[in-house]
Amino acid sequence: MRTRKLYEKTLGIIGATFISMACLSCEKVIDINLNKANPKYVIEGNMSNISGDCLIQITQTVNFSDLSEFPGVENAVVFIREDQKEPIKLIQTSRGIYESSQLRTRPTHSYTLTVQVNGEEFTSTVKVPEKVTIDSLYIADFSGFGNTRKFANVIFQDPVGLGNSYRFIQYKNDLPNSNIFVLNDEYSDGRLVNTFLAFFDNSDNQRLDTGDTLTVEMQGIDPSVYKFFLSLSQNSTGGNESVAPGNPVSNISGGALGYFNAYVKQRRTIIVP
Amino acid sequence: MRQILFVFFIFSAFQPLFAQENFTVSGTIRNKATGESIIGATITVKDMAETILTNEYGFYSLRIPEGNQLLIISYSGLKTVEVPLKLTKNMQKDIFLEPQSRTLDEVVISAPVLGRTVTGTQMGVERLSAAEMKFIPQLFGEKDPLKAIQLLPGIKSASEGSSGIYVRGGAADQNLILLDEAVVYNASHLLGFFSTFNADAVKDITVYKGGMPARYGGRLSSVIDIRMNDGNNQHLSVSGGLGLISSKLNIEGPVQKGKSSFLVSGRTTYVDLFLKLSNDSNINRNKLGFYDLNAKMNFQLGQKDQLFISGYFGSDHLNAGSDFGLRWGNTTATLRWNHIYNKRIFSNTSLIYSNYDYEIDVNLGANNLNIFSRIRDWNLKQELSWNAGSNHSISTGFNLVYHTINPGDVTSSAASNFNDIKFQQRYSSDIVLFISDTWKASPRVSFTYGLRKSFFSIYGPGDFYIIDDAGTITDTLRKKKGQTYITYLNDEPRFAIRFLLNATASLKASYARNSQNLHLISNSTTARPTDRWVASTNNIKPELADEFSIGYYKNFSTQYEFTVETYYKNMQHQIDYRDGADINNPDAIESQLLYGRGRAYGIEFLLKKKSGKLTGWLSYTLSKTEKKIIGINQNEWYNARQDRTHDIAIVTAYQLPKNWTLSANWIFYTGDAVSFPEGKYIVDGQIYYYYTKRNGYRFPDYHRLDIGATKVFKAKGRFTSELAFSLYNAYGRENAYTISFRDNKEDPNKTEAVQTSLFKFIPSISYNFKF
Repeated sequence: MRTRKLYEKTLGIIGATFISMACLSCEKVIDINLNKANPKYVIEGNMSNISGDCLIQITQTVNFSDLSEFPGVENAVVFIREDQKEPIKLIQTSRGIYESSQLRTRPTHSYTLTVQVNGEEFTSTVKVPEKVTIDSLYIADFSGFGNTRKFANVIFQDPVGLGNSYRFIQYKNDLPNSNIFVLNDEYSDGRLVNTFLAFFDNSDNQRLDTGDTLTVEMQGIDPSVYKFFLSLSQNSTGGNESVAPGNPVSNISGGALGYFNAYVKQRRTIIVP
Repeated sequence: MRQILFVFFIFSAFQPLFAQENFTVSGTIRNKATGESIIGATITVKDMAETILTNEYGFYSLRIPEGNQLLIISYSGLKTVEVPLKLTKNMQKDIFLEPQSRTLDEVVISAPVLGRTVTGTQMGVERLSAAEMKFIPQLFGEKDPLKAIQLLPGIKSASEGSSGIYVRGGAADQNLILLDEAVVYNASHLLGFFSTFNADAVKDITVYKGGMPARYGGRLSSVIDIRMNDGNNQHLSVSGGLGLISSKLNIEGPVQKGKSSFLVSGRTTYVDLFLKLSNDSNINRNKLGFYDLNAKMNFQLGQKDQLFISGYFGSDHLNAGSDFGLRWGNTTATLRWNHIYNKRIFSNTSLIYSNYDYEIDVNLGANNLNIFSRIRDWNLKQELSWNAGSNHSISTGFNLVYHTINPGDVTSSAASNFNDIKFQQRYSSDIVLFISDTWKASPRVSFTYGLRKSFFSIYGPGDFYIIDDAGTITDTLRKKKGQTYITYLNDEPRFAIRFLLNATASLKASYARNSQNLHLISNSTTARPTDRWVASTNNIKPELADEFSIGYYKNFSTQYEFTVETYYKNMQHQIDYRDGADINNPDAIESQLLYGRGRAYGIEFLLKKKSGKLTGWLSYTLSKTEKKIIGINQNEWYNARQDRTHDIAIVTAYQLPKNWTLSANWIFYTGDAVSFPEGKYIVDGQIYYYYTKRNGYRFPDYHRLDIGATKVFKAKGRFTSELAFSLYNAYGRENAYTISFRDNKEDPNKTEAVQTSLFKFIPSISYNFKF
């Protein structure tokens, strides 16, 4: 729930305020001797209702102290199956990237991903929800925390019945915003929902300014995908004030990190007024 | 019930024959200057190696042989009194102790209260009086009782500058924090940097780290029993203090001299003045602060009855501009009646109310939202202390508690996105019976044995969930109003033995079981006002702890006291989050939890110097705390977050001429056990961290020196005042508060660890007065 996030942030800001009173230069980079972890496979699987979006990327974890370079994993065998139909094999198009040009999702159907690599097998099944359309996309000013910012607002009608989950991706001048925006209908079941995509980073490449081209993609997703992104945003960003930072809850079985998301999507684009 | 009768049978079986006639001496011990009853004053019968302490209401009762006897009564900061008695019948003897006169050439800090005695059977107890806390330098100069006790062995602070407490490896919610018997559910202000206890209103603080008396229960690791001042019944007195971030004022006086008194004590903070100094509009538009109000009235109704009414009201507020507001606070009220039935039976009856609530207001354009949550208790408590003669003293009673938990009501404006939601209120009751007997079997050997029996029931109306191993709700059971859904019965035996080696040394051993039916669900080490209390359900079983303890106690001369205690604690039905839990699920929170075992063991040393120009103590704890929960850390044992191997505290105060006192503390402990990532990976173009072991790493070791100086000005009539200076973290050690990870700004291909530390070189000054 967005409010909750806002609340956490507020506590954070006020905590930070309190801290800044007490200690002026209290941040420093330190050396920590971390063990080397056995590499794990990381699978990012996406397919939408548009042909050509079906792309599975396979990488591996690297040690914390290594450079942040994540080479793709070759020689994987990747299949996707719709419901109980024949699986379709994906083709490796570049290192660690597996694609299918004809596969696309249909609402209310299930899709099963199977990845075989070096004797290990990973699977995931997700159900694509009923399509929900964006009623409108607009920009509204938001005053808070001492300044006024422009944020994207999306209005849509949530269908009656719990379990609808949504993911939003925001592009500013075709560049994706790195924040995770997910929402479910636990508090707004059956409502006309007006959600705003708030984020706290005020940097030039994220902030919305007059004249920017804003595109918002809305995805109808499976609850397991919602859970993955929610836990990814809560737990894995490296803070340790929370008692147990951990790995996000993957919807892939077999011990891989990452997710498989089969969804219906739509986009709206406006110029920021 | 049968077991209780059985215990009575045991008592009667041990009635020895009378050789010499014994009589009972009983009464109340009070401070002559204020009329306040004194908790924990020591009464020694000369020639008998017999020492007892007054109870929480200053009452004592002794059974001693006829003839000439000499009682010696002493208490920290007061003159020791010797009372000769010629015993020919039972008698009542109320005794008044005078304050020690302090002149320029006669400066004595006298014995801190004997929290731990060589002769009593009680183990694992720590006691601090207001006088002992007085000179300990603290953060921002705030005298915080909960932070003062963190300097004692086995009691650890939750994090830098925090009033949160871990006792012998227990979690923060496993401490029963009582203010005049009322449970305080959230004992913190300002996100944990201060506790809810105003040192000016506190008379005494007693911590039971283990082997709790049978009259206490409901939490696994400790009881922190805080008593408010009763109020001066001799004359009107005003005291107050001006500090760096808060000020306080205390007014007390007689309603009817010598018989009844009142006390009102308030404290307020102006910490947000500091925010105003900032040029950053992100900061200076915010507001935060708190206030506390303690009030008490106390009536002496004849010789045998005393009535108390006490209350605490506290509130915190936090606002981010007009967009976001959060308010939280505790309210407690206690109505208490002490009655002395006869010289041997003391009764205490209390009706107690506790409330903790918070409210969040969000105003974001059309989306207005209000969330309200509360936990509330009504509690009736009856306790009898019976000096049963022939070396038995019995304590028995009952406790009836009704809990109502409201996890959250969400209300919103019509135009908002959100539906109004009322999460289910939860109703539960706790019926407790307890009995214990302290039996002086021989001059060398004493036993305390007892039983506490708790019946915890959960009632409808409400839905209860059947949850499978994966955390999925498989069935929902609906209960009607008043229908009992489940009752947990827990027997908690308590046992202690003391063996006197000689007049100045003893060995003790104890065993205690505790159960806990209210659990705090928190995902943070800092005290969040919105951390949730939940009662046991069909899924959340009562937490259980069995603690075994052995100790050695020694007094060297009258100045030094040395103690070693070792403990082993086995804990069942411990709670932790599933990986990736959605902690904000207010209704079926159980679907996000996992349950398992815990174990904690350690050894604690304490050397105390109680009198002379230099006073203080040296405390060292070596300990280990682990958990094992199926579904976490590959089902292996892992360090609890609060596992700290070494913990040292040195606390000193030194009396200088001209009424100056210098003081210093040095604290060292092993860094907390934390989870650090060993790897990293990329998802959607962002780098995330890969964690392997739960709490497999440690923060750097923590250490810090605090120094203080206090000048007491010469009294002008009744007007006294003092000026206190302190410096927190005097050598500026940068202790880790958090360690986080990020991409290096210059080379985004590299990842680095960043340590944030909080307080260094924090000076403070405060001025206190009294007249």
